[in-house]
Amino acid sequence: MSRVNDHAEPADTEGGRVAGASAEFDPVEAGGASAGAGAAGSDAVGTGARASETRAGTGAAAGAAPAPAARPPHGSRPAHAPASGPGNVAAAEAAPAGGVREGSVAAPARQGGGSTGRPPGKEARGRRSGRARVRRGASGASPLVSGGWTPWLYLAPALVVLGGLLVYPIYQLGLISFFQYTQAQVSGGEPTTFEGFGNYAELFGDPQFWQVLLATVLFATACVVSTLAVGCALAVLLTRVRALPRLALMLAALGAWATPAVTGSTVWLFLFDPDFGPVNRMLGLGDHSWTYGRLSAFFLVLLEVVWCSFPFVMVTVYAGIRAVPGEVLEAASLDGASQWRIWRSVLAPMLRPILVVVTIQSIIWDFKVFTQIYVMTNGGGIAGQNLVLNVYAYQQAFASSQYGLGSAIGVVMLLILLAVTLVYLRLLRRQGEEL
Amino acid sequence: MNPLRARVRRPGRLAAEASALLIAVVVAFPLYWMVLSAFKPAGEIESSEPRPWTLAPSLDSFRHVFGQQEFGRYFLNSLLVAGCVVIASALIAFLAATAVTRFRFRLRTTLLIMFLVAQMVPVEALTIPLFFLMRDAGQLNTLGSLILPHIAFSLPFAIWMLRGFVKAVPEALEEAAYIDGASRARFLWQILFPLVLPGLVATSVFSFISAWNDFLFAKSFIISDTSQSTLPMALLVFYKPDDPDWGGVMAASTVMTIPVLVFFVLVQRRLVSGLGGAVKD
Amino acid sequence: MKLSVRFAGLTALAALLATACAPQTSSNSSSDKDEKTGTLRVWLFQEVGNAPKEKVVDSVVAGFEKAHKGTKVDVEYIPVDTRAQRVKAAFNDPASAPDVMEYGNTDTAGHVKDGGLLDVTKEFGDWSEAKDTDPTARQSVTVDGKLYGAPFYVGVRALYYRTDVFEELGLSVPKTMDELASAAREIRAAKPELYGLVVGGAYTYGAMPFVWANGGEIASGKGGSYASGIDSPEARKGIKAYTSLFGDDNCPAAKCAGMGGNDTISAFAAGKAGMAIGGDFSHTAVEAGKVKGKYAVVPLPGVKSGSIAPAFAGGNNIGVLKSTSHRTLAVELMEQLASKKTQSELFEAMGFLPTFTDVRQQVARQEPFVKPFVRTLSAGTKFVPASPAWAQIDSSLVLPTMFQEVISGKKDVTKASEDAAKKMNAAFGSAG
Repeated sequence: MSRVNDHAEPADTEGGRVAGASAEFDPVEAGGASAGAGAAGSDAVGTGARASETRAGTGAAAGAAPAPAARPPHGSRPAHAPASGPGNVAAAEAAPAGGVREGSVAAPARQGGGSTGRPPGKEARGRRSGRARVRRGASGASPLVSGGWTPWLYLAPALVVLGGLLVYPIYQLGLISFFQYTQAQVSGGEPTTFEGFGNYAELFGDPQFWQVLLATVLFATACVVSTLAVGCALAVLLTRVRALPRLALMLAALGAWATPAVTGSTVWLFLFDPDFGPVNRMLGLGDHSWTYGRLSAFFLVLLEVVWCSFPFVMVTVYAGIRAVPGEVLEAASLDGASQWRIWRSVLAPMLRPILVVVTIQSIIWDFKVFTQIYVMTNGGGIAGQNLVLNVYAYQQAFASSQYGLGSAIGVVMLLILLAVTLVYLRLLRRQGEEL
Repeated sequence: MNPLRARVRRPGRLAAEASALLIAVVVAFPLYWMVLSAFKPAGEIESSEPRPWTLAPSLDSFRHVFGQQEFGRYFLNSLLVAGCVVIASALIAFLAATAVTRFRFRLRTTLLIMFLVAQMVPVEALTIPLFFLMRDAGQLNTLGSLILPHIAFSLPFAIWMLRGFVKAVPEALEEAAYIDGASRARFLWQILFPLVLPGLVATSVFSFISAWNDFLFAKSFIISDTSQSTLPMALLVFYKPDDPDWGGVMAASTVMTIPVLVFFVLVQRRLVSGLGGAVKD
Repeated sequence: MKLSVRFAGLTALAALLATACAPQTSSNSSSDKDEKTGTLRVWLFQEVGNAPKEKVVDSVVAGFEKAHKGTKVDVEYIPVDTRAQRVKAAFNDPASAPDVMEYGNTDTAGHVKDGGLLDVTKEFGDWSEAKDTDPTARQSVTVDGKLYGAPFYVGVRALYYRTDVFEELGLSVPKTMDELASAAREIRAAKPELYGLVVGGAYTYGAMPFVWANGGEIASGKGGSYASGIDSPEARKGIKAYTSLFGDDNCPAAKCAGMGGNDTISAFAAGKAGMAIGGDFSHTAVEAGKVKGKYAVVPLPGVKSGSIAPAFAGGNNIGVLKSTSHRTLAVELMEQLASKKTQSELFEAMGFLPTFTDVRQQVARQEPFVKPFVRTLSAGTKFVPASPAWAQIDSSLVLPTMFQEVISGKKDVTKASEDAAKKMNAAFGSAG
């Protein structure tokens, strides 16, 4: 991020986005504006500031961009771009690099540094050549001293806490999963016995586990897809309305976001209560019970999950859209592209890095849903029909005292999420993201 | 100034605004209903003809909630837990984020990957080993058993997010500080810290929420000492699956939601920009 | 692929670190300390309509604190549904465990196996009131000849019915299980706002009499070798009889499948049901409800006319935890909480049937409502398998899951009972 600042001199920033000064409620703009008012340079944090950099710097970036920015997905080249003039094409190309994800501004520099073996000609380009040369491997860190022990000193508290309360428990979790570990062992009544993969064998031989796993994957997928769809659609909608409706929607979304999972769950249960809830009354469903059927119970939980997690997607994607230079969108719409077409061919490719992040984040959150299922289906639903892995592990461990088995489920879950993380890392890398 | 807006034709925009307002109403409805039900008199809450308003708002449910158990105390407990987590994780994450963004050292990338991976760890799966860990540390039944794990769980994301804020402070500033003869510690606390503070606040929202919302740890670690209970636990006392006391549940929910809402509104600007930063890095 | 290489290296390092060392266990030995002052923690169950119980307990506690200078008694009422987790957690961490607690008699064997309860055989023998304890109740605190607590009350269930509804519809009190079912449907048909007989998919002890009355058993065997009997033809007949009560013609599955015992009582007390299966301990809650004065209780009928369905000999005990550091005080408090005086007060307050034969007879004379329960008791009761595995079977909801699977149509009776039997046998096998 510092890179953006290196290029975007304070003057640049100020010249760029004045929009933030408008008095309307707009977190993104406000963020940009207030950040801009901060100490020199710290403002690059604000999306607005970043957008400004792109805009103000378009001229300069346009010259510099083509090579490094050629990386983004092919879809990013709007079909109509030629018609909108060379400047806009350049802007469109430059944006993913400089505006939307400033990481890639930095990326070429690192690549220039030799780590990826790009043609050396690209590194000595434009403003970049004037900078302090980045040392190899520093990948965007301060060009200052290597620091000796100081970074470790700074890291020490974090490492101690994480080591003791995260790494060690994970290790313990793995360990317990290999043991016969029930209440009798915990209280010391019987010796612990090493079971090898006994717990895993038991788990994989249990049809209920596969059923729960399938339900978890399907449920999480449904949640992620719905959350993303709602979040993105509303983010686009936000850009198309005036201040007042935007304020209303933003506030409502923040409210939903801020609601604790426990209260959210009870409130949604109350809304759908067969006897006293307003929803059945409005829909004329009589005393239909939403938590009885397997699908309808899952659906109810899904509604709550989407309700409390779409704001994150919406706000983030909205921030991303605001950072897309206006010329691009203007050009697209002048060409008569439909909203859907603009989203698909212009916005989505430009926002891809953001979309990847929110998707992964959503997968992780939705895969781990615990409180909502636990509270709303009263611990897993009728005959355990609404169990998901997390709740299942908890029930096995704490209700049935099968700590070993519960730990094995935990390990399985951990491995699945780890796999997702690896995919994420690969995606980041493919985009030339720096860490 | 909004390029999209400028060219949207009028009927289209009106339709968009109408739907935005409608969606806002739908999204806000559960919260409205929660607050409304909390203020409804007892007879109206559990009525088969629920009305979206009340003519006789009453504080009965709140009185009931605060009368039952030591609700005020649980509130303070929750606040204490969340407060400790926020402060501790902010400070620790600030140091760590500085280390990984402003220094170059071996294992730096590896560490960053570890922080990323750590975010993926399903906290609930660790309840089992953490329980034994807390027991051996003699922390069960104390608020410490809630504070410590939450510091650990909110750190990776906080570090990840703060990186962007720390990076944003220009290196020139650091160089200038050293040229002026500032020590590293002085730069860290008197120059860098204030500059990153807004980012810290944004980051805090997440640690605050995770600590404030915690239900599983409180349920598992606070075994017998009710004076150490926290809000989510107290809330579920009113929510008995067989016969929920909806008035109490809604009043307790309202009390529990308000601090988070206030916190959100206070930091929302930082939050949005901070998210932009964290997400894009 | 630099990142993944590094990552692989890390994983390898972590694997190296993970040398095999067994996870620790807590040394749950009894505490040596026997302090004479300080705070005693007590856990009692939270009942439906708990206030009268609290009042009685408060007076016992006040007397105890007065008699023992420098002691404080801290009573907490814990929810029955999630008690297993709390109790286990307490066994796992002696430091936060209570000193004295109430526990269901079905949990005795499991708690003892977990090493949580203190052997009070000697103290119980020395206790002057102990000799009047009903032998069945005494059996419920006994494991391998040793006593692990004092019986607190006897819980036995019978049929509550609405006299006004029966009169209005011209129904007579059912004498067989079939009549019970048809009466339930008639009530529902005539008064669709009422459940006929309110039943719950998670109400194991309300369901078991149907199994027992049909000749089924939960499990058979003795000592260490139990085998599940829930999939026998007789038991299946009982399961079928019970689950057929879930339906729009009596108790809609959508509502009733998730209910437990307390829910059914709440529904009956709120005037939402024509009949319910409730215990003597439910009496106060029903009295405090809308149906006060409009109901009566009879023993739950069996299969043959005039017979009584075997009831579950429930009830709770008061025990002292092994980890207590106030052994003498805790035992004394246990005795006071389970004393004749407290029990008769609790009977008046809550309707808990005393465990002392003389006290029970005395209250039965005063209070006619006890009669059907005493009759049920004397007609013969059944108990859950006295195996430590039972606590696990109970807390992993094997039987409720089975009933719910049948009720919701996920499995038929044969399949569901087979699966349940498998799970039970696995538990019997592993827990010994």
